[in-house]
Amino acid sequence: MELADTTLRPTTQALALSRWQRTSRILLRNRSAMVGLFILAILTFVAIFARQLATHDPEKPLIGLEENVKKRADPCIHALGCPQDQPEHYFGTDGNVRDVFSRILFGARLSLIIGFTTVSFAILIGTLIGLVSGYLGGWVDNVLMRVMDVLLAFPSLMLAIAIVTVLGPGLINALLAIGIVSIPTYARVARASVLVNKEMDFVSASRALGASDPFILLRHILPNSLTPLIVQGTLGIATAILEAAALSFLGLGAQHPTPEWGLMVGQEYKNVFNAPHLTFFPGLALMLTVLSFNLLGDGLRDALDPRLARTRTG
Amino acid sequence: MLQYITRRLLTSLPVLLGILFITFSLARLLPGDPCRAALGERATDEVCDAFIRREGLDRPIPVQFAIYLGDVLRGDLGDSFRQGRSAVEILIERLPTTIELALLAMIFATLVGVPAGIVSAYWRNSAIDVGTMIAANIGVSTPVFVLGLLLEYTFAIIFKDTPLWLPPSGRLTSGVQLPSLAQSLNLQNLSGFSAGFLDFISRLYVFNSLVTGNWKVLWDALRHLVLPSMAVGTIPLAIIARMTRSSILDVLGLDYIRTARAKGLKMRAVVFQHALRNALLPVVTIIGLSLGGLLSGAVLTETVFNLPGVGRTLFEAITARDYTVVQAFTLVIALIYVLVNLVVDVLYAFLDPRIRLS
Amino acid sequence: MNRKLIYSWVVVVLLFSMLLAACQPAPTPTAEATAPPEETEEMVETEAPPTTEAPMETEVATEAPPAYEGMKVEAESCDYGGIIKSIEAVDELTVKFTMCVPDPAFPAKAAFSAFQIYPAEYLEATGGGGELVEKPIGTGPYMLEAWNRGEDVVLQRFDDYWGEPAKAQTAIFRWSAEAPQKLIELQAGTVDGIDNVAPDDIETVQNDPALQLVPRDPFNIFYVGFNNTYPPFDNEQVRQAIAMAIDRQRIVDTFYPPGSSVADQFLPEGLLARPTDSVWYDYDPEAAKQLLADAGFPDGFESTIKYRNVFRGYLPEPPVVAQDIAAQLKENLNIDLEIIEMESGAFIDAANAGQLEGLYLLGWTGDYPDPTNFYDFHFGAGATDQFGEKFEDITSRLAQAAQLGDEEARRTLYTEVNDLLKEHVPMIPIAHGASAAAYKADVQGAHASPLGNESLEVMYIEGQDTFTFMQNAEPIGLYCADETDGESLRVCEQVNESLLAYSVGGVEVVPSLATEYSTNEDATEWIFTLREGVLFHDGSTLDANDVVLSWVVEWDASHPLHVGRVGDFAYFSGLFGAFLNAP
Repeated sequence: MELADTTLRPTTQALALSRWQRTSRILLRNRSAMVGLFILAILTFVAIFARQLATHDPEKPLIGLEENVKKRADPCIHALGCPQDQPEHYFGTDGNVRDVFSRILFGARLSLIIGFTTVSFAILIGTLIGLVSGYLGGWVDNVLMRVMDVLLAFPSLMLAIAIVTVLGPGLINALLAIGIVSIPTYARVARASVLVNKEMDFVSASRALGASDPFILLRHILPNSLTPLIVQGTLGIATAILEAAALSFLGLGAQHPTPEWGLMVGQEYKNVFNAPHLTFFPGLALMLTVLSFNLLGDGLRDALDPRLARTRTG
Repeated sequence: MLQYITRRLLTSLPVLLGILFITFSLARLLPGDPCRAALGERATDEVCDAFIRREGLDRPIPVQFAIYLGDVLRGDLGDSFRQGRSAVEILIERLPTTIELALLAMIFATLVGVPAGIVSAYWRNSAIDVGTMIAANIGVSTPVFVLGLLLEYTFAIIFKDTPLWLPPSGRLTSGVQLPSLAQSLNLQNLSGFSAGFLDFISRLYVFNSLVTGNWKVLWDALRHLVLPSMAVGTIPLAIIARMTRSSILDVLGLDYIRTARAKGLKMRAVVFQHALRNALLPVVTIIGLSLGGLLSGAVLTETVFNLPGVGRTLFEAITARDYTVVQAFTLVIALIYVLVNLVVDVLYAFLDPRIRLS
Repeated sequence: MNRKLIYSWVVVVLLFSMLLAACQPAPTPTAEATAPPEETEEMVETEAPPTTEAPMETEVATEAPPAYEGMKVEAESCDYGGIIKSIEAVDELTVKFTMCVPDPAFPAKAAFSAFQIYPAEYLEATGGGGELVEKPIGTGPYMLEAWNRGEDVVLQRFDDYWGEPAKAQTAIFRWSAEAPQKLIELQAGTVDGIDNVAPDDIETVQNDPALQLVPRDPFNIFYVGFNNTYPPFDNEQVRQAIAMAIDRQRIVDTFYPPGSSVADQFLPEGLLARPTDSVWYDYDPEAAKQLLADAGFPDGFESTIKYRNVFRGYLPEPPVVAQDIAAQLKENLNIDLEIIEMESGAFIDAANAGQLEGLYLLGWTGDYPDPTNFYDFHFGAGATDQFGEKFEDITSRLAQAAQLGDEEARRTLYTEVNDLLKEHVPMIPIAHGASAAAYKADVQGAHASPLGNESLEVMYIEGQDTFTFMQNAEPIGLYCADETDGESLRVCEQVNESLLAYSVGGVEVVPSLATEYSTNEDATEWIFTLREGVLFHDGSTLDANDVVLSWVVEWDASHPLHVGRVGDFAYFSGLFGAFLNAP
């Protein structure tokens, strides 16, 4: 924490506020982070208004319901020259004659939900573990951290695959698996933050005033741990979406006919040579989504990094 | 130094124990009947009773774990039901493919990532910097399987009939065969561990052909590995590039650099002679950590490029309910991961005295 | 610090053990253990007297050669349920099969890959399984050099082959489940021939001057199966309702290549004695909904639909077809189907063991040109458990028809069988799928067998001594007595041979290891004369005992060599009714 000038040190609350303001100003100046934020905004819009924006039902085969509709049709946009007698599908149709554009839109909703739920789950449990572990120290710390070590000893996708094998394939199980696999990261972050903060003066002051341990944890330590958790969480959403897509690609995550992007690639990648659009549209969607979270997370990390902040007083 | 190594080894042991326990639990937690999973759906009740008794599945859990530990230490990882042979045999067959893939991916990532990071740091905040970092980010954001397909499409279809064409799948062209090292070096009379080990090394086609001077096969094997390595390598590449960049920037801000510049050294000399060595230390750690990502990426890449490696075999074993193989392979992968991290830590300590003295 | 670490680990391990023990019930053995048949290594005395090989070359010595000790295995009575009465090696080069009932289709069956001949010594040495499944030894034009699991199967020309030597020195089988990938490899030149061109790619191949397309007639059937022992499929009305609720024309039009047709009956065209006017249920979703409501499910129900993601002529794109069927049944009958993809080997094994609950997608490519190949294997008394309980009215008619020689009489019976199939609905026939193989344009002898048995020994490219063929999947095993999968059978065919064979690219039965055969008046006795001087790949000579033992290990369930890969021997029981001494 930097030393302020001669004015009285503000309370934790007020300091956090002005820090946020300062952070957001730095963030706004970071061009790549802004790109990420922009993409994310579009994504969120699409996810919320998927039903209104979509041209067809994402899960219903259109055989017999549309004139001339073909399986794995190329993208056809009438405004761009596609003949009028062919049904309009912006991104074409997939192997089951479903509209790809609508599936991509609904997939955005799914991906955002996947990202947020897994990371929320992991942060919740991980932070709990990390807070308890770091604050109590001793035995508890040892045991909990060893368990985290073992989880980290496996490559994350492998462990997720192993967990899904035990639980059975399905989107919920895949999310649970990814959540479990992500817990150690947040536990470590939370614990590190606790270790730094628990020796601080304001904590001892609080304790001297008679505050109980849980109160200290929640009221003083947790807020200060939030920033690294948020940074890690943003980047974690990116990883979670990728892992969910990977599990669905392998057939272990979302099941037919859910319009999950990874599943869409998994079903059509064999046709990448004669119908490349069916692989690349969901692939592009995945890439853009994950990119936005990565850029945003990087930007947040740069903006919230105390060392760099030192050189940016203002 | 030795003290550091022993300390590190000791902290690894409990982790190893934990890994063994998890893989042991894996097989016990899997849905369905372990007997029918191992012997097939047709196994009768009598057969299953004998199986349960023989495998000790009716004994208490800690005893079972002890038995499992004993088996693993003896090198017995069980037999694959689907293929009718020992899991170790399958491992010897499949692991070399993944190792080659991982190594080449790592080389690719380092060879491209480090210079990219240096360039970015050197021309900090310029268009080159932003461009490189965005490209790196795109690399890490694109799912490995999508990237693999993109590469396959580009090099196998778009570049067909051009010198840039690359084969879309497999490890070697049809019909190209590589004699095992046992044959080339006339060491056919080995048995047991040495034979297995030699067989394992022979399947590292790049190494094998290099050692026996079989240039045609070497060229073929390398060509087949280019696309998959690139696909898998983009993940560590992005991380390495970013890490190199920030590491160099950190170092450049330090006092001794200012001193060097004050002494009149050109920026380029400063970067290469002073900053780089220290900046590269964290990169070494990243290499170890990326291995996890590589192994995970291997599952997806091996599927797309039709490579018979550990990742794909593990996945096929899961769908085929070949639990022995799942258990054995998960264990080995985790062990490799721990081992590599251990090596990296030791290497890091070797390079940075501050660590070992802490 | 280290001690604490170890202690904390011990605590963790103990905690997890307790958790694990709580979560998982301890398996309790249910009965006294008996040694499982798969595990016995030691050999039990065989029924037949030990065989000695009579020397093939005439000896110069004045002694008369010792009398040939031929094996004979005979069923005590014909009540065991099968149609074979005895198999006997009459002399070195003569084998006699005696049947309990007339079996006019016997030569067509005997030519099939499941009845290939192995050296008796090799069968004994491998114990009937194990290495036999990975390293078969036979009389075929190619010998197995290596099976590189996951990569390829490499075969080398057998120079002492009794017939015309193989054209290409080395034959290689590779595989890929992805049709586009196969086409890429063919176009890239890394393989010389591929099986099952994707429907979307047929045009591409036809337009490419460097490739040749060889179409294959739809000698197959794709069906949706049920196991009628699992509710609600034990209710015949439910099955009938589902039959009426699937728009099969839509499936064929959307997902099959040109040349395919909607299946009005189980048998594809081109079979003798095929019924001429059988018609399946019309697509009638309203009637189906009514029928399902009558059956007690007005709001539908939940179940699963399973398939294996392997390209077959009868089903080129399993996942999309599964999804379409699920969508149709959801729409028409409100049946919620969870779509489950299974691994090929596990799927087949589970199907044969009767373990597949819910609906499943499967099909059949004809192995030999007789209705018994289609009907008896699936609905006969010796069929596997894939459909659950068998229907006696069907099995009796099939058994009858199999014994008749008169085509019209058989046709009448088969028409009745079709009506019964429509009534009982053990499965829903959907399509006869056309398929095609593609080769490089300069491949000589390129052909596509309607039975899926391409003969690599006649195919070659001028100037190339390797011929590579890419099929859909890896063989599951190479001991074809115990395999039913076309990918395994095709590889076996190059290495092993049966008494008779099918003509290259055709369905005619021609001599192979037997030069001729004769039968008695009522087709209950079949006598085969073996070719002289045929060598196995290991150098031993073919004689009648090899033939008898190869057949007997399949026939006699109590034989110690009745092992195989899983011990199913599904073709044997399917085609010949039952095993001798079945448990």
